[in-house]
Amino acid sequence: MTKKKMIISQETMDVDFVRKVEALAGTSVRSCFQCGKCSAGCPMATFMEHPPNRIMRLLQLGQWQRVLAGRSIWYCVSCETCTTRCPNTVDLASIMDALRKLSWDSDGASKESYVQLANKLFLQNIRTYGRQYEMRLAAVFNVKSGQFLKDLMLGPKLIAKGKLKVFHSKNKNMSEIEKIFTRIEEMRKKGVAL
Amino acid sequence: MSRIGVFICHCGENISRTVDVERVAEEVGRLPGVAFSTDYKYMCSDPGQTLVKKAIQEQKLSHVVVAACSPRMHEKTFRKAVEAAGLNPFLCEMANIREHCSWVHENREEATVKAIDIVGMMVERVKKNRILPTITVPVTKRALVIGGGIAGIQAALDIADCGHEVILVEREPSIGGHMAQLSETFPTLDCSQCIMTPKMVDVANHPKIKLYTYSEIELVEGYIGNFQVTIKKKARSVDEDKCTGCGVCMTKCPQKKIPNKFDQNIGMRTAIYVPFPQAVPNTPVIDRDNCTWFKTGKCGVCQKVCGPGAIDFEQQDTLIVEAVGAIVVSTGFDLYTIAEKPKGSPIKGYGEFGHGKIPDVIDGMTFERLASASGPTGGKILRPSDGKEPKQIVFIQCVGSRAREKGISYCSKVCCMYTAKHTMLYHHKVHDGQAYVFFMDARTPGKSYDEFWRRSIEEEEAVYIRGMVSRLYQKGDKIVVMGNDISVGVQVEIEADMVVLATAIQPQKGADALAQKLGISYDKYHFYSEAHAKLRPVECATAGIYLAGACQGPKDIPETVSQASAAAAKVMTLFSRDQMEREPIVARVREAGCVGCFACKKVCAYGAVEEKEIRDRQGNLIKIVAYVNPGVCAGCGTCQATCPSKSVELDGYTDEQIIAMIEAL
Repeated sequence: MTKKKMIISQETMDVDFVRKVEALAGTSVRSCFQCGKCSAGCPMATFMEHPPNRIMRLLQLGQWQRVLAGRSIWYCVSCETCTTRCPNTVDLASIMDALRKLSWDSDGASKESYVQLANKLFLQNIRTYGRQYEMRLAAVFNVKSGQFLKDLMLGPKLIAKGKLKVFHSKNKNMSEIEKIFTRIEEMRKKGVAL
Repeated sequence: MSRIGVFICHCGENISRTVDVERVAEEVGRLPGVAFSTDYKYMCSDPGQTLVKKAIQEQKLSHVVVAACSPRMHEKTFRKAVEAAGLNPFLCEMANIREHCSWVHENREEATVKAIDIVGMMVERVKKNRILPTITVPVTKRALVIGGGIAGIQAALDIADCGHEVILVEREPSIGGHMAQLSETFPTLDCSQCIMTPKMVDVANHPKIKLYTYSEIELVEGYIGNFQVTIKKKARSVDEDKCTGCGVCMTKCPQKKIPNKFDQNIGMRTAIYVPFPQAVPNTPVIDRDNCTWFKTGKCGVCQKVCGPGAIDFEQQDTLIVEAVGAIVVSTGFDLYTIAEKPKGSPIKGYGEFGHGKIPDVIDGMTFERLASASGPTGGKILRPSDGKEPKQIVFIQCVGSRAREKGISYCSKVCCMYTAKHTMLYHHKVHDGQAYVFFMDARTPGKSYDEFWRRSIEEEEAVYIRGMVSRLYQKGDKIVVMGNDISVGVQVEIEADMVVLATAIQPQKGADALAQKLGISYDKYHFYSEAHAKLRPVECATAGIYLAGACQGPKDIPETVSQASAAAAKVMTLFSRDQMEREPIVARVREAGCVGCFACKKVCAYGAVEEKEIRDRQGNLIKIVAYVNPGVCAGCGTCQATCPSKSVELDGYTDEQIIAMIEAL
């Protein structure tokens, strides 16, 4: 990430973007007082160019381009350790969700295809079967991402331990599942859901 | 023959860990004159003291030596215990075998031998101790308060409300001090004037308070309970009794362009002026340096328009002597000079911030005057350079404070809070503006303080940037602020319309000179020193002088008011008795040997040495000798060391005693 000097003014601080993040995440960005506890406990912080606390700091200064230009938000695994431990009740995990959505919508440079692909396939599976069908998820992911042999040797081990089912079992109440998906889609169209 | 009792304390393990206390007790017990010696785990505890008392009665002891900690710790404790058992308290001495022995040694054998020596010396010394009677001195129940800021006002009101007379001396033409200059106060944002002026009026109207404004302390003589203070009342050129405070003189004065110090020199005043509309007393002063009459001998407009004829160009400075029993010093603070290194001071300036060169770089107090409804802009935040409203304003904290390189290493304590307040005041007055704050740490201990600071960020939208500013420079009509956000780790640049520097708090100029007049001590920054940082925070080491407010160290208003009331309580404790008792460790002059050279008088830091005439029965003067006033003497012993004829002795520390101690080694 660039170490370029920040020119701070009312024009360069995009407060509207921050407000959007706050509205989507339902939490305050300004509340963060930079204690660093989120980054201290984050299991993915070592992979991020901006650890969670710095993401908050950049948001406070309205520097969202710097946040979205990096991959940090896509490394977040939503474990919510940050949210659980924040001393000042900032829901950082929700902010990460909001940032990922805004990044996706803005078609930003940080569209990390594998993460997005995995998310998409995960949800497609749920929609089709009503529950997760891991075998299909892994197979389709490998095909679509072009890494045909990825983690292939793990398969037999997981099957032997009963962790991976060869055949799917479908939910009995598929119409209810479909209702959930359509409702969320409508909400997203209205902009009231992530 | 003396019957000395020696009591060796283990101090838990503090002493017994390195000193074989039982052996000390045994060996000391064999010394000539020692009738009884024992050891105990905690001599200062209730059973320990009972042990001492019982031994005095049962063993008919004549003197007591307690071998334990420093006399600074427990001398009083044991002297009290000895007194309770019927002995004169000054026949008890402490042998310090903790700080001087066990704490500083590791070898048990050597430490034990040293402890035996220390105790042996004190045994020889205590044999020569005299019975000393307690000294009583009368108390004048009037108090002097120096400085009429919020500290002085609070202390004066508290003492006066208790029924004692108070003399309040203020250097400026009005009381009120710095608090009167403030716009709003943290953490409640109530208007400073609104809470201040009623107290100022109370002072003016209080029957027990005598107010001397535009006056300074010239000389302080005497001692606790009996001070004589000479006050210089500077010529006001206006007769206070005749003046009605109508203000016509000020409207007619042709000199209208004099920078008003009260408005931090951004507002103007006339040559005859009151510093601010709510001034107490509301009597103007003629500034003789800027008055046309005093410069050229012409004009005199004020005199012509004054109905009651109060203008008096001939008025002179007058000296007034007041007798008081206690003094409260509340001279307050001054702000750090930012731009250049003040002459003769070890403290450096901040050339890199351009204060004084860039007109829109101001200090916090100037911002207070801009934000104040009674200030030069009527409460509008406007730039000094062109009168425009600044849309981007930068505040920089710790300017001077915590900057060892500049000569100040302390934290000024109030800047974090007042800067948070400034961002709020700015946000309330300039809705489309943005405030930025560069800070190192936010130090906000205090009731509702941290919440206040967080509010400035979370609700009032101030942007705080952690990191110090390197430099400020003018670019067109903007000021470029070069900083660094250490949370992100990148350089930050802001083009600001105005910059406010939270400058360090320093003691009032001339604080050292006043301290020398009062005989009180001060630190390297000239803040006055309290007697004990924790347990005697409002008293000076010099008896009868008390401290209140920022003259002792940076303080906010609540803390200043608390300290002022505490100082007042100490004064009232002193005034609760007609006579006061003093420890009789004082110097005595052997008149037969004194030749009247008065070398002792020259070295006495407390002014305790007086001249005394010796006359025969016919009244013929034989000689003049030195006399030490026991009420004033602090028992420092300097006179004893100085006297060329060895005619001064400090009770409890006589030459005879010291020699006996050396011989015991």
